[in-house]
Amino acid sequence: MRLSDAERVSRAIQTLSGGASLDVIVDRLYDLTAGTLELDRATLHRIARGKTQVARAIDSPEECVRLYFALMILGCEQDVATGTIVEEGRAMLAGFIGEPLAALIFRDLEATLPKLTDRLTLKEYLEEGLRLWLPR
Amino acid sequence: MAPEMIDPHARAESGTLRAEEARLRAYLADRLHIRTRFSPLPDVRAILVSAPDDERGLGLVVSNETTVAERIYLYVHLAAHIALGHHRPLDTIVEGVPGLVRLEHDSHSHIEAERLARAMWWGENEDLAAPRMVRGSAFLRTLLASGPTRSAMRRVLLAMRAAYYDLRIERALAGSRVARWLRDALCVTAVVSVAPQLSEA
Repeated sequence: MRLSDAERVSRAIQTLSGGASLDVIVDRLYDLTAGTLELDRATLHRIARGKTQVARAIDSPEECVRLYFALMILGCEQDVATGTIVEEGRAMLAGFIGEPLAALIFRDLEATLPKLTDRLTLKEYLEEGLRLWLPR
Repeated sequence: MAPEMIDPHARAESGTLRAEEARLRAYLADRLHIRTRFSPLPDVRAILVSAPDDERGLGLVVSNETTVAERIYLYVHLAAHIALGHHRPLDTIVEGVPGLVRLEHDSHSHIEAERLARAMWWGENEDLAAPRMVRGSAFLRTLLASGPTRSAMRRVLLAMRAAYYDLRIERALAGSRVARWLRDALCVTAVVSVAPQLSEA
């Protein structure tokens, strides 16, 4: 998988992680995605620092979507503002996958988010979204 | 969802209601591939999350503050949304708490689902309809159609249930047709009390 804007993805990951260390983030991402992310620590470190255009361990759009949901959940857990979570999550996914899957996800997200005014509800929605994208 | 849906005081969570809720939840899981879970959702009643392909199924998160009667209504209403394809291609359906959540631009699809839910609830489809013994009762349906008679009916049924247990006659009458009718009537009345739009003509 080639990142379309490594610098923007890097900034999004750093914002969504709310200042937590990358090791803590990686552990939590593995936990949230039930170990289905193939991304190793070194690669995620490089992506988060904007040091690579290539995320070799991410092979499919489904994995990108899982990473996207997991990072947004992390944003909720780190008390990042809801608007920021959405904006950064979108930037991150756009950096990973192109149309039309991203467009479908964004369209749903944009229609759904105004109805979820509470962060706890947003997190439940994201967790359910992530669960649906986990391998069966 | 119509704004009058939530009546937090309408709680009559009888065994019949609970059994009906479990039956409908199992139907959603088996036939519509919806996995249901309950969580604290401060600002909405339920969220139905879709995936881009049918094989993944759907995920339903229901507020754990909902009554059993509300859950029954939500299941029928969401089944109607699905029958109408409102979850496609990848659309989340939010059932909000009236006054707390902005659902204006979804109002058309909710009204459509409401109409279908009403037809399903009083119709012949055994899976999603009200209990068979009472669904064809014009008498009950007339009483449930307006607020005052609905409330009166509910009070009468609750009083009869209390008497039924107080007089210790449940063993003698448990299997009788009258007792079954009253149990089903109470179940339907509880559901229509939290979702009066089901009774509209």
